[in-house]
Amino acid sequence: MEILTVLILIISFFVLTFIGTPIAWGIAISSTLTIIFSIPFLPSLTTIAQQMATSLDSFSLIAIPFFILSGKIMTYGGIAKRLIDFAKSIIGALPGGLALINIVSSMLMGAIAGSAMASASAMGSIIGPEMEKEGYPKEYGAAVNITSATIGLVIPPSNILIVYSLASGGVSVAALFLAGYIPGILTGIFLMIVSIFIAKTKGYKSTVKTSLLLIFRKFVIAFPSLFLLFIIIGGIVSGFFTATEASGIAVLYTFLLAFIYKEIKFNDFSKILLEASITSSIVMLLIATSMSMSWVISFENIPQELSNFLVNLSDNKLVILIIINLFILFVGIFMDITPAVLIFTPIFLPIVESIGINPIQFGIMLVLNLCIGLCTPPVGSVLFVGVGVAGTTIEKVFKPLFPLLISMIFSLFLITFFPKITLWLPEIFNLYNP
Amino acid sequence: MKKLRIKIDLFIEKVLVLILSAMVLNVLYQIFTRYFTSNPSSFTDELSRFLMIWLGVLGAAYVSGKKKHVSINLLQSKLGNKLRKNIEKLVSIILIIFSFNVLVLGGFNLVYITFVLDQYSPSLNLSMSIVYSVIPLSGILIIFYEMCNNLK
Repeated sequence: MEILTVLILIISFFVLTFIGTPIAWGIAISSTLTIIFSIPFLPSLTTIAQQMATSLDSFSLIAIPFFILSGKIMTYGGIAKRLIDFAKSIIGALPGGLALINIVSSMLMGAIAGSAMASASAMGSIIGPEMEKEGYPKEYGAAVNITSATIGLVIPPSNILIVYSLASGGVSVAALFLAGYIPGILTGIFLMIVSIFIAKTKGYKSTVKTSLLLIFRKFVIAFPSLFLLFIIIGGIVSGFFTATEASGIAVLYTFLLAFIYKEIKFNDFSKILLEASITSSIVMLLIATSMSMSWVISFENIPQELSNFLVNLSDNKLVILIIINLFILFVGIFMDITPAVLIFTPIFLPIVESIGINPIQFGIMLVLNLCIGLCTPPVGSVLFVGVGVAGTTIEKVFKPLFPLLISMIFSLFLITFFPKITLWLPEIFNLYNP
Repeated sequence: MKKLRIKIDLFIEKVLVLILSAMVLNVLYQIFTRYFTSNPSSFTDELSRFLMIWLGVLGAAYVSGKKKHVSINLLQSKLGNKLRKNIEKLVSIILIIFSFNVLVLGGFNLVYITFVLDQYSPSLNLSMSIVYSVIPLSGILIIFYEMCNNLK
């Protein structure tokens, strides 16, 4: 590793991002600039082009456009609405009820759709106005929506965990999915506790009334949507489907359900398909260019050098984990989650494995850590969506956001130091042998 | 130029919708043959991977034209109108240079190499040069879109 190549890579990426170059292209351009100094001109150009194409040449990645598509069908097809109604009947009557509904719905929606941006915009536009009507400040509603949307990335099925499985060189998707449940739900509970606390001190009351009968009725209505979760996760964990096949089933299932609910006409379908392919292309380009950058970084031997540096710094497991977590938190502030997972997994995974950390636990830790970055400026895609939907500004949202972010960091802390939280479920289902 | 662009946009939209639908049907067919027939399909895995490359790379060009790729607009929002336009032009020029060199030149070289080396995919027996041809194609599209968007 020459210090010059690292400098070219980092500086060109920052300058390009700063002047407003789309991040995905910025990643590709700075990788090209770096590799040009190591191998001849035309072969470097060809290699980058080839890396971009071959990184998409993966059957497991196909689950991503499919989960995006089924998420869009859910939003348009009235499935999201039914899930929210169900959540409302369970926890709506507690103090700060609407905030709690938002959190639980985001968890359910994220659990089925697997995209934080989609669930932030769906929940923000459905629950946001209701919260305002009941006298919650917009900023508080937006802050709750933004943080809870990211938990869906940890709760399966999760596109980013599929990306991690690819970047880690084949950690089992089924094991990762199961490992995500407890950390995701735990983080959700922490967010709810903070929300109830805020609601009590600020005096936000709930006007939602509920009864056991209502909960049962809403559960029956939401049951077909919830059953999808059982098919997907059950299918993957039992080995009946691969993740990609399960995502195909999810598309078929939501498609049929939306037709039964009569909320989508056949003609709307090409619009939904186009929207899904656009969202998928945005993610795919990020994956393609990040994989090229990851290739360039390993070609330049950067991971080994960094690993030597870290191991020399300390041989204490906890110290190394804290350093890595702080580094990733810092990276997450400036980088979107997909490129960060693809670029930093190959760098850090060998280090943590050498100190005895399980790659499943590391994956959940990495994703939850980067979720925090999604809620912070300047590069927080979920933050932007959440603020946009609520019609407020980043400056105003930051104050109510702060206690929620602290609870996420607390959850990250627990997941880092207590491996059982992530590994217990995969162990029970025999997907991981200690 | 404007009319041509609308036509191209519409055409790509149709292609993207077709590709995504084909991918879904393809994977569903794979599940069907695996569980309900005695000989599971051998081509579906490969076909959906190739369709995915096309969806990702062609879609990336389309999204570039619509300016929907994720970017940070912190600088742009703080600048005056004229300076902002100039910086946007600079970004366009950078993208054009990149697209020409990496996607068009590098991509075409990749297509050429795989064509000369006669690389075929194992189960569909499809020339890899056809699969990779989407890279230079998207490069040309991005150059066209950037010229439409910013360099009138």
